[in-house]
Amino acid sequence: MKVLYPEHIPAFFTALASRFELRLPVMLSDGTRTIGSLEDGPIALMGGAVPGKPTAAFFPQQGPVFTAVEGAVLPSSDQANRLFVAGFTGRDIDCLRFIDRFFADGWRDDIYFRQRAGAVIAGVSGYCGPGGALLPLIGGGCDLEFVCDGKCWLVLTYSQAGEGIAAELPDTDAEEVLHQIRIESLTAANEGDELIQRASQLLRANRVPDSFWSEIGDRCISCTGCNLACPTCTCFGVQDWRYANNIERSRMWDSCQLDGFMREASGHNPLGSEALRTRRRIHHKLAADPERWGEISCFLCGRCDVVCPTGIGILAVAMEMVDRFEQETIR
Amino acid sequence: MKRTLTVCPYCGTGCSFYLVSDGGRLVGVEPSTTHPVSRGGLCVKGWNAFAFVHHSDRLTTPLIRRNGTLTPASWDEAIGLVVDRLRSIQQRHGYDSVMFSSSAKATNEENYLLMKLARAVFATNNIDHCARLCHSSTVFGLAETFGSGAMTNSISCFDQTDLILVIGSNTTEQHPLIGTRILNAAQRGAKLIVADNRRIRLARHADLHLRHKNGSDVALINGMMHVIITEGLMDRLFIEQRTENYAALAANVADWTPERAAALTGLEADEIVAAARMFAAAGRAMIVYSMGITQHSHGVDNVRCCAALSLLTGNLGRPGTGVNPLRGQNNVQGGCDMGALPDVYSGYQKVADPLQRQKFARAWGVSTLPERAGLPLTHAMDAAASGLLRGMFIMGENPLLSDPDQAHARHALENLELLVVQDIFLSETAAMADVVLPAACYAEKEGTFTNTERRIQRVRKALDPPGEALADWEIICALAERAGYGGMRYSGPSQVMDEIASLTPIYGGIAYDRLDRHGLQWPCPGKSHSGTPILHMESFTRGLGRFSPASYRPPAEAVDDEYPFVLTTGRTYFHWHTGTMTRRTHLLDREERTAFVEIHPDDAGRLDVRDRDELLVASRRGEIRVAARLTAMVVPGVVFIPFHFAEGAANALTNNVLDPESAIPEFKVCAVRIRRVV
Ligand code: SF4
Ligand code: SF4
Repeated sequence: MKVLYPEHIPAFFTALASRFELRLPVMLSDGTRTIGSLEDGPIALMGGAVPGKPTAAFFPQQGPVFTAVEGAVLPSSDQANRLFVAGFTGRDIDCLRFIDRFFADGWRDDIYFRQRAGAVIAGVSGYCGPGGALLPLIGGGCDLEFVCDGKCWLVLTYSQAGEGIAAELPDTDAEEVLHQIRIESLTAANEGDELIQRASQLLRANRVPDSFWSEIGDRCISCTGCNLACPTCTCFGVQDWRYANNIERSRMWDSCQLDGFMREASGHNPLGSEALRTRRRIHHKLAADPERWGEISCFLCGRCDVVCPTGIGILAVAMEMVDRFEQETIR
Repeated sequence: MKRTLTVCPYCGTGCSFYLVSDGGRLVGVEPSTTHPVSRGGLCVKGWNAFAFVHHSDRLTTPLIRRNGTLTPASWDEAIGLVVDRLRSIQQRHGYDSVMFSSSAKATNEENYLLMKLARAVFATNNIDHCARLCHSSTVFGLAETFGSGAMTNSISCFDQTDLILVIGSNTTEQHPLIGTRILNAAQRGAKLIVADNRRIRLARHADLHLRHKNGSDVALINGMMHVIITEGLMDRLFIEQRTENYAALAANVADWTPERAAALTGLEADEIVAAARMFAAAGRAMIVYSMGITQHSHGVDNVRCCAALSLLTGNLGRPGTGVNPLRGQNNVQGGCDMGALPDVYSGYQKVADPLQRQKFARAWGVSTLPERAGLPLTHAMDAAASGLLRGMFIMGENPLLSDPDQAHARHALENLELLVVQDIFLSETAAMADVVLPAACYAEKEGTFTNTERRIQRVRKALDPPGEALADWEIICALAERAGYGGMRYSGPSQVMDEIASLTPIYGGIAYDRLDRHGLQWPCPGKSHSGTPILHMESFTRGLGRFSPASYRPPAEAVDDEYPFVLTTGRTYFHWHTGTMTRRTHLLDREERTAFVEIHPDDAGRLDVRDRDELLVASRRGEIRVAARLTAMVVPGVVFIPFHFAEGAANALTNNVLDPESAIPEFKVCAVRIRRVV
C-alpha cells in the first residue's frame, strides 16, 4: 500500500500539475474551501465535502457550446491537458456515477464528456471530515482514494491511471488501520440514508399532502442555490450572444425552482408556484428518479442543506416529512 | 481557473462571493462560506452576478454625438471635449450651471473622487446621487432624531431579536438574504409584524399583517404610540435617561386614538391596538423599513415616526433592536458616506461649516471651496427643465427610467446643452447623451462598497474591462488632469481610501489591508479600532435621542372618479432597477420578460380583464401599456407596477412631487386609470 505524508503533499501535487490540469480542495483567502487549482490557495484535503459540487470541473456554471463565425460552427475546445480532480467523497462518487450514466444515455452530452473522458478522479475518506470526523471508505468508482488515517494519507488505487500516479509514492504497511477504518465505515450511522428512503416511500405512496408543500414553498425565496449546489442537478439553459463578427452560444446551470424553467410558450406555467416547484424538486430526486433509474438520486452529499438560506434543503424537508406523515399513519 | 473574492453588485445586503474565471472569461460564482452576512448563500441575483459581464452590448469605446449619431472616438478627444464644454458652460452661466450625478453602483473611492472633482475642480456643490430617490428621507430623519442617518444595528441582530416590525419593505425580494434572516427568526419563534398592504412573502409568516392604506404610515404609527402611552407600556427609564422632547411627542399623539388612526389607515382599531401591545411587549424589537416608508411626500415624517416608536420602547443601542432602514443599492450607504450629496463632504461634514471647507480646501490644494449647498438631484432635473442648469455629468445612473414623471425627465435631459453619461451599457439615458464614456463594471476594478449595516468591504478585479473601457475612478482622474488639476494622481483605489480616511473621521481607521477578510463597520475612527456593529450604545451620536413628532399629511395625489386606482411602484425579485444588467442576464430576464401590472382579481373582474391581457394604464402625466397580472398580492383599488421596463415605464406615470425637507419624490402613491386595450 502507498502512503502520502502530509509534508510531501505540496510537492506531490505540484509534480502532477505538469501532466494534468489539476483541480483539488484548496483553502481560499477568506477560509472558504473549494475545488480549485494550486494557484488558488493552500491545499486543503481535510474538512470533508467542499461546498461547491466537484462535478463543476466537467460542467461549469456557464460554459461555451459553440461559436458561429461566417457560417461555420466551431465547437467548444477540448481541455488541453487531462483533468485530475481530487476531493470527491464517497457520496460525491455516487453522484458522479449517476450523472455519468444519464449524460451517456441516449443523446450523449459531448460537451460534458469532452472534459470528463480521460479525467482522473481521486476520492478522499478516513478521518478527514469536519473536525477529524470519519468519511466512509469509498472502495472504488474512482481511480484512486486518499484515506486519512489521522496522521497521513493511505493511497488506494483502482485503475491503471491511479496506479501510475501513486507509483512513485513510498510503501507502507497499514492494513490494520485500514481494516479499522473499513469496520467503522460499515458501522457508521446511516441515519440520513434511512431517512431519505422513508421520505421516498412516503412520496411514492402519495402520503404527503399539498398543504405541506405550500408551507415549505412559502419559505423558498427561489435563490436556486439548492439546484446549483447539487451534483446530480444538471439541467441547463442556453443563450446566444451576438458580437460584431460572431455568435457565441453558451449554456448555464438552470434551476427548477425558477418559474421560467417550466413556463409554456403561452405564458402559462403548470408549476406556477413555489409550492409546486419545491414539490417537484424533491419528488424528482426521491420518487421520479427511482422509477427511471432504479435509485434515489439524492446521495446525501449535504450541499443543498448548507446552501439554502432558509433551511429547506432536501434532508431538512425529508426529516419534516417523515416526522409528520409517518406518525399520522401510525396513529 | 482563477477565483476572486468580491462583493455582490446588486443590493445593499453586501453578500460576498468568489468570481470564477477561466482564461479571462467569467464562468460562475462561488459563495463565501465564512462571510458574516451571506454565510455560504446568495440570492438569485448574486448567483447570476457574473452573467452580464461579457454581454455583447458592453460599451467598449468612448462615443461622441456627431450629426445626431453617437460615433466612436478616442479617449483623448472625449475627455477633452467633456472638460472644454463643461468649462465653457460655466464661463457663460456660472459654476452652478452644471451638475454631477454620482452613483450608488460605483465604489466609495469613485464617489469620493467625483465629489472632489465637482467641488475642487469645477467649484460647485452640485453633486448628488440616487440616494436622493431612495433614502434621503432616512438620512434627514435619522440625523435629526439620532444624529446618524444609517441603519443602527447589524444584520446579525436578526438572530437575537424577539420581534421584527417590517414596514414598507418587501425584504425577501429586495434584500433577499436579510429576508431569509427574518424568515428564520419567525421560524424560531420571534414575533413578526408586517405592515404593508401588499401580501408579500413575509406576510404569510407574520403574526400580524397590517394592510394599511398607501401613505398612511404616520397615522398607523402615531396610533400605535398613542396606545403604548395610554396603556403605560413605554420604557420610562430609557425615555428619561436617553431622550429629549418626549412631552411634545406625547402631546402630539394624545388625540391619535386607535379609532382615529383606523379611519385613516383603513385598518380595524383592534389591529392597531394589537400591534402596539405586541411591539411594546417584546424585550428586543427591531424596525425594518425601506422604500415604503421613504418614498413619500412625507417621507421624513414617516422616518421620524419609526424613530420615535423605537425610542418610546427603548429599542435602541442594544443587540436585536434598532431602526433599520435597508439601503437599496450595493453602495448607496457608501455614496452618502463619501459626500456625493449637495450639502456635505465625506463623513457628513457640512459644506456650510467654514472649518470643514478650510480642511478640505487645504487637503485638496485649492484656495477656496464653494460654500452654498448644491442642488439635490430632483431639483436639478427641474432646473434643467427650466433652463437654469445647462450641463450634466451622469456616472452610472439611468434617470430616464428611474426618475419620477418620465416626460419631465426626458424634457429636462433634452433641454441640456451638454449631457455626458459614463456607464457600462448604452442605457436609455446614455442613448440621449452628447458624450458617452465606457466604464469598467464591478468585476473589472478594485475598490470598496459599504453595505447597509455600514460594512466597508473590498471589491476586487477579476479581469480586464472590455475594449477601451476604463474604471470610473480612472476616468474621473483623467478629467481632473485635463482640467489642469494636479491633485488627483493616485497609484490606485487603495491610495484614494487612505486620503478618505485622513479626511473622514468615521472612516479614519479604514485601510485596504484591514478590510481583507470581511471588512469593517463604521464608525471606525482609528487604525486599531475594530469597527462598530451597533450604533448609539452608550449615547446617541447627537447626545440624546430626540422625539420628533409628526402630523399626518395625506399623499399628494388622491384617487377620484377620473383616476380611481392608487398606483404604487417598486421592483421585482429578479430585476435590478432599470434592468441594464439583469435584463441582460438570461435566467433573470427569462423570469420577468416584460412590464406588468399587479391588479386584484375583483378589480380585474369589474374591468373585464383576464390574466396577461394588455392594459393601458394612465395618470395625469402619461400612459403605458403593460400586461395584467391578476393577484391577491395587492388589495382592491391598488395596483403595482415595477419600474424596470423601458417599454412599460412605471415612471411615465409617477408624480414628481417632493418631500419638502429631503426632496425625495413620491414614487409610492399616485392616481391612475386602467382600461383593457382591445
Ligand atoms: S436553496 Fe432553499 S431558498 Fe434557495 S431555491 Fe433552494 S429551497 Fe429555495
Ligand atoms: S441578497 Fe443582495 S447582496 Fe446578497 S446575493 Fe442577493 S442581491 Fe446580492
